[in-house]
Amino acid sequence: MGKIQYKQLKGSQNMRLRLLLSTLSSTPIIIEDIRAEETLPGLRPYELSFLRLLEEVSDDCSVEINETGTKFKYKPGIVMGGRHLVHDCGTLRSIGYFLEPLIVLGLFGKKPLTIKLKGITNDSKDPSVDTFQKTTLPILKQFGVPPEGLELKIVNRGVPPKGGGEVILSVPIVKELEAAIWIDEGLVRRIRGYSFSARVSSQFENEMLHKARGIFNRLLPDVHIYTDHKAGVQAGESPGYGITLVAETTSGCCISADTAVYRGGEEEDEFEEKKELSPPGDIGEKIAATLLAEIEQGGVVDSTHQGLLFLLCALCPPDVSKVRVGKLSPYGIEVLRHISDFLKVKFSIKPDPATNTVILKCVGCGLKNLSRKAS
Amino acid sequence: MGKDGEGGGQPHKSHRVRKSGASAKKKSKSKPNSTEGLSKEQQKINNPKAFAFTSSKKAKRLQSRATEKEQKRLHLPTIDRNIGEPAPFVVVVQGPPQVGKSLLIKCLVKHYTKHNLPEVQGPVTIVSGKQRRLQFVECPNDINGMIDCAKFADLALLLIDGSYGFEMETFEFLNILQNHGFPRVMGVLTHLDKFEDVKKLKKTKQRLKHRFWTEIYDGAKLFYLSGLIHGKYTKREVHNLARFISVMKFPPLSWRASHPYILVDRFEDVTPPEKVHMNSKCDRNVTLYGYLRGCNMKKGTKAHIAGVGDYHLSGVTALADPCPLPSVAKKKGLRDKEKLFYAPMSGLGELLYDKDAVYININDHFVQFSKDDGANPEGSEKGKQRDVGVELVKSLQNTKYSVDEKLEKSNISVFGKKPHISEAPEAVGRDVLLEPVDHYESDIKDEDSDSDEEDDTDDENDPESLEKDLWTQSNYKEEIDLDRGRVRRKAVFENEMDIDNKDSGEDDDSDSGEDDETEKDNEAMLSDSGSSDDKEEDEMGNISKWKESLLERTASRRNINLEQLVYGTAGSKSSGDMKDAGEEESDEEFFKPKGEGKKKSNEGINDNDVDIDDCSKFVSTGSLKDWKNEDLIESIRDRFVTGKWSNAKLRNELSEGTVGDDDEVHGDFEDLETGQKYEGDHADDVGNSNKDDALAAEERKLKKLALRAKFDAQYNGSEAPDEEDDGDDDTKTNRGQSNGDGYSDTLKEKMELQKQTNIAELADVDEDKRVEIEGFRTGTYLRIEVRDVPYEMVDNFNPFHPILVGGLALGEDSVGYMQVRLKRHRWHKKVLKTRDPIIMSIGWRRYQTVPIYSIEDRNGRLRMLKYTPEHMHCLAMFWGPLAPPHTGVVAIQNLSNNQASFRITATATVLEFNHAAKIMKKLKLVGTPCKIFKKTAFIQDMFTSDLEIARFEGASVRTVSGIRGQVKKAAKGEISNKPSKKGGGKEGAIVRCTFEDKIKMGDTVFLRAWIQVEVPRFYNPLTTALQPRDKTWQGMKTVAELRREHNLQVPVNKDSLYRPVERRPRKFNPLVIPKSLQAALPFASKPKDLAARKRPLLENRRAVVMEPHERKVHKLVQHLQLLKTEKTRKQKRKEAEKRKVLAVEKSKEEQISKKRQREERRVRYREEDKMKKKIRRNPQS
Repeated sequence: MGKIQYKQLKGSQNMRLRLLLSTLSSTPIIIEDIRAEETLPGLRPYELSFLRLLEEVSDDCSVEINETGTKFKYKPGIVMGGRHLVHDCGTLRSIGYFLEPLIVLGLFGKKPLTIKLKGITNDSKDPSVDTFQKTTLPILKQFGVPPEGLELKIVNRGVPPKGGGEVILSVPIVKELEAAIWIDEGLVRRIRGYSFSARVSSQFENEMLHKARGIFNRLLPDVHIYTDHKAGVQAGESPGYGITLVAETTSGCCISADTAVYRGGEEEDEFEEKKELSPPGDIGEKIAATLLAEIEQGGVVDSTHQGLLFLLCALCPPDVSKVRVGKLSPYGIEVLRHISDFLKVKFSIKPDPATNTVILKCVGCGLKNLSRKAS
Repeated sequence: MGKDGEGGGQPHKSHRVRKSGASAKKKSKSKPNSTEGLSKEQQKINNPKAFAFTSSKKAKRLQSRATEKEQKRLHLPTIDRNIGEPAPFVVVVQGPPQVGKSLLIKCLVKHYTKHNLPEVQGPVTIVSGKQRRLQFVECPNDINGMIDCAKFADLALLLIDGSYGFEMETFEFLNILQNHGFPRVMGVLTHLDKFEDVKKLKKTKQRLKHRFWTEIYDGAKLFYLSGLIHGKYTKREVHNLARFISVMKFPPLSWRASHPYILVDRFEDVTPPEKVHMNSKCDRNVTLYGYLRGCNMKKGTKAHIAGVGDYHLSGVTALADPCPLPSVAKKKGLRDKEKLFYAPMSGLGELLYDKDAVYININDHFVQFSKDDGANPEGSEKGKQRDVGVELVKSLQNTKYSVDEKLEKSNISVFGKKPHISEAPEAVGRDVLLEPVDHYESDIKDEDSDSDEEDDTDDENDPESLEKDLWTQSNYKEEIDLDRGRVRRKAVFENEMDIDNKDSGEDDDSDSGEDDETEKDNEAMLSDSGSSDDKEEDEMGNISKWKESLLERTASRRNINLEQLVYGTAGSKSSGDMKDAGEEESDEEFFKPKGEGKKKSNEGINDNDVDIDDCSKFVSTGSLKDWKNEDLIESIRDRFVTGKWSNAKLRNELSEGTVGDDDEVHGDFEDLETGQKYEGDHADDVGNSNKDDALAAEERKLKKLALRAKFDAQYNGSEAPDEEDDGDDDTKTNRGQSNGDGYSDTLKEKMELQKQTNIAELADVDEDKRVEIEGFRTGTYLRIEVRDVPYEMVDNFNPFHPILVGGLALGEDSVGYMQVRLKRHRWHKKVLKTRDPIIMSIGWRRYQTVPIYSIEDRNGRLRMLKYTPEHMHCLAMFWGPLAPPHTGVVAIQNLSNNQASFRITATATVLEFNHAAKIMKKLKLVGTPCKIFKKTAFIQDMFTSDLEIARFEGASVRTVSGIRGQVKKAAKGEISNKPSKKGGGKEGAIVRCTFEDKIKMGDTVFLRAWIQVEVPRFYNPLTTALQPRDKTWQGMKTVAELRREHNLQVPVNKDSLYRPVERRPRKFNPLVIPKSLQAALPFASKPKDLAARKRPLLENRRAVVMEPHERKVHKLVQHLQLLKTEKTRKQKRKEAEKRKVLAVEKSKEEQISKKRQREERRVRYREEDKMKKKIRRNPQS
């Protein structure tokens, strides 16, 4: 026990997940060969930013990175939480990248976490903050997280390349999660959309949502898409627009799809740039199609949230959790592997051919919030 | 208690009250008042006014007290996640030495099993009833053993020597119990036959009982064992005690309910013998056996072996229960005796089942040895030291032995199965490798050589010699030589593993390995394969399944496939194998994750890319469907509320109403397993599924009813003891129940439901998978292999000291600062000093650490304390392995056995853990002014350098007289010329401060600051199992101990000594009021100090001259006055003399009278006493 035993891992894949699990299970890790072969070896700035975020919210965690950045040691500390924290996420990855692990980490902190994150709120790579607000937070509630204090507030929008967005995340702490049996996907009851436009004409938005609604109207009357036109400081520093669609089912599941359109990054005339991108109408149709594809798949969550769902199941007390998802996404599979690696929780995975879904069962690892102070 | 009621089939004969005779008279005499004879209730009825409350205040107080009591009784229900039959309950028998602990265990074992237990070594498991097993453990007499025992005891029997009274051990043990979760406790008084006086015995019993009650609770059970008959406790009393034990209920304890633990009842060293030959001090591999308790244990959990350290459990296997309940165990023949007890450390129990072998323990007198062996005892001893081969030959001389050997060889070809729990009984009969290896071969030979006649008394000697042989250092080698069985077994184990590995390579079909097995068996490899152990577990499952029908098998394979896809083949973690898995299951397009196809088609690089972009969002590269197409829309129409609900229902059939229980899910899977044909039916035939639906609904309903019934039963059961406690006032209890109904009942119901769902969900999973998912269930008999333990553990193993293996939860193996709320034990004589090393027992661990005591100030600051407060809680912070909040802690300073005082130093509970220890200590910097301007002053001696000053800029200072100020900056140029002349050394240390008023040169200036105290990063696990148990563990010593050892004085700081305070009277300068101010003052306030008169007044200056007559009169008056004073003086003197004489006389008289009175009184008392005695005697006679 005198010497710290590090768990050896390789590559930059799933770094967030690994760091998150390492912190939750308090297993020190070493990650080697991070992009060792590439022309730009080592950690990316956004990964560094994530490490810094971990240092911010936790206490006595130590990170040692070698000179080239291809290897680092991480010894987790105790998640402290706290209020009035600020973190700049940079402009390489969107805030969604940071939110996903942070929200789980915050649950197991010493104090409730309230943190202001700055950077990109919407892009096409990571789940947008709207998705987070409308889909991710309700998932947590299924696992016994109290709704009080669980909130994501979008202050400013910001799209790549310059960002400038700002959100405030507050997460309560829990003693332990509750096991959930969540296999009833229900029927899609209504579809809500949240579109935004920043530093561009709101006409883009309108066109986009018009087309999207056009597809849904044949299926469902209850479709409503809110528009959110931002200007000034609230619009961030780059022009762009995007949409998030959320399908709510009769059993309270939320299935979402989102995207955002923005200028590619080179300094060009805005007008010309827009021409290169697909027209907003197409974007609307595409995103509607994506959502329908997600709905078609079935499952209580969409493919983006599979990882989070599995993680929450695994963190439950030693009761049986049972969830139904559509096809397993590659990220979901990675999460399952890492869970069995770090938390020693294995899932029983059974396909349900009648509905083309997969049912997963597991007994949680019984993680308790140890850092909570006894009164 | 319920059992007593059960017996009442026929009505008992009622008591007949005596109506005549002495006892009837006595009763009537003693109860002249008729009301006294009535019960309280009757009285209430007869005279209700007397029992009505008179004051509303009192009534209110009573009511609040009642509710308070009620609330105290309520406690949050805890979920009991244990499924199936529980592990044997541990009964720890504890007491000071020589109080009769072993005898009690022996008597109880005799009572339950009708067997004589020669010696109590290690845990003794017995079957005590149809549904209950017990495990008796004798608590060793040292404090470490007591602590460990307290952590696994379900019931503690505290043995107390009645003739001597309570001893410290009892109270120490009680305190340990209370802090590590309070299990059930029962006191047992022994040595009561030493009392000759019955009255005294009665009184002692009473006294001890009440003392016991104050320690636990009023009404705690204290048993009396009145004496010995034939060296055993009387049967009736043991029977009664056994009854009490067998009806006892054991409440769940929070720490134990959340941590798996094993009380080791068998311990083996499985190090390859050649390794030990090479180096007798090499790290050993040991196997530990015991029932799993607490909660389910997953593979790969870390565990703490008490007194040894933290280890990864490298191999965990479930074994067949060595001491099954009679309801579970199948009797195969009449000759099969029920195994009622199991105590391998005591050398009892004939059969031992291991993972891959069965041991038969043959009684000594059943074993025949060749004659020459028996003839010369030296030969046998030599033989052991001589050669392995000789031993082998000797063992072959035994005919019975060799037959077994042959049997074993022939069986091996069949043997390809792991004797698993579920199949253990079969396996024993059919094809388990029988190895007649008794561990005690060595002592058999010893016995044989020593004494030819073998009788029953031999049994008693046996374990002793065994113990000697096995565990003494000198004989250790022999033990290994002799335990050939172990070596052989090892070989088998290896072969199996090889085969398994091979199987896993082929991915299935172990039946091909039959021939190979026999070949391999002969090879007898002993290679140590570390990592393959876990792998083996998985594959073993496959093997065990291979007799199932092929159809089922293929079905199960289909199910596993998705899991294989995710988890890969056992052991491989990298994402590389994803591709292989994908190719294997090429026929199942659908169940492949979406990424798979893309990867294959797009770029092969991604497959092994460890640097894939970290993205949770799945972006499908494939073209999206055109959802404008009407057909497509129709295809998912049923997923929307606008679609056909019936279709949707069909689709969602599984999820329908399965939140509570989902038996239907189970059914559906069965369908899946039997084949695909059912699937088609499902999808097409609505009617069929409807029927299924109805069936399922009915089943569900039944299940719910059953659940409800079970819940009710449990609920009532749990309430029963409470009602007993306060059964005297029914009304209160009733009220309490109605109160508690709401919240705690819903909680209880929820928990029960959760438990039932757990059971239902896991019911359809096969055994191996279940173990993988939820871990080993509590109550399973486990074999744990631990690698690389220090050799001392094996060398110093002592079966009298139970080994506790406690599982650690996530994060409990990391080290940090712990904050505990601590209180010195009131029986510990001294207060505790900060930084004195202390031994903490937290969770499973015991370790020495260096705490810093502190207390929380009003503003939340933690102020360091040099010593713990006298009668108060304080906080202690120390470095050590983390334990969750609310864990109980016992602190001990002295482990030695020979001291009489109370050893428990303090008790505590964990509050939190922290990596940043912020304990502050007060720091007072003192300086003196060296130069004073108006409100600015230069202060010297406060700081030592400019840097220090810079650090404290802006800090507030104050003088003794209370003038507040602020530190400004280091004084540089301004004053440098002056002090540099005197002695420039202090130049840097002078600081400029400003004050709210001008200070004086004589003032002292303080700066009050706080500095952080470093908590020492020291912790030292108690490795008591790695040393002889009789030796006291020696850790870090306290400073005081070191000083005492080295005869060092306590260093004295002169400044800390008290000096007499000299306070010279202060001389104040006269008050000067400025002239301008004076002029402005009103007259009344103006100082009226006129200049002193140079010439005295006329009155004083004039002389008085008397007339002659006047002079005479004056003289006369003077004379008369003189006379008067003289007279009175004489009078006074005389009076005083008189008074003195009188006083002397009076005192004399008083003395005499006192004497007389005393005499009189004595006489009177004597007479009275006589009278009383007479009176007392008279009526009796």
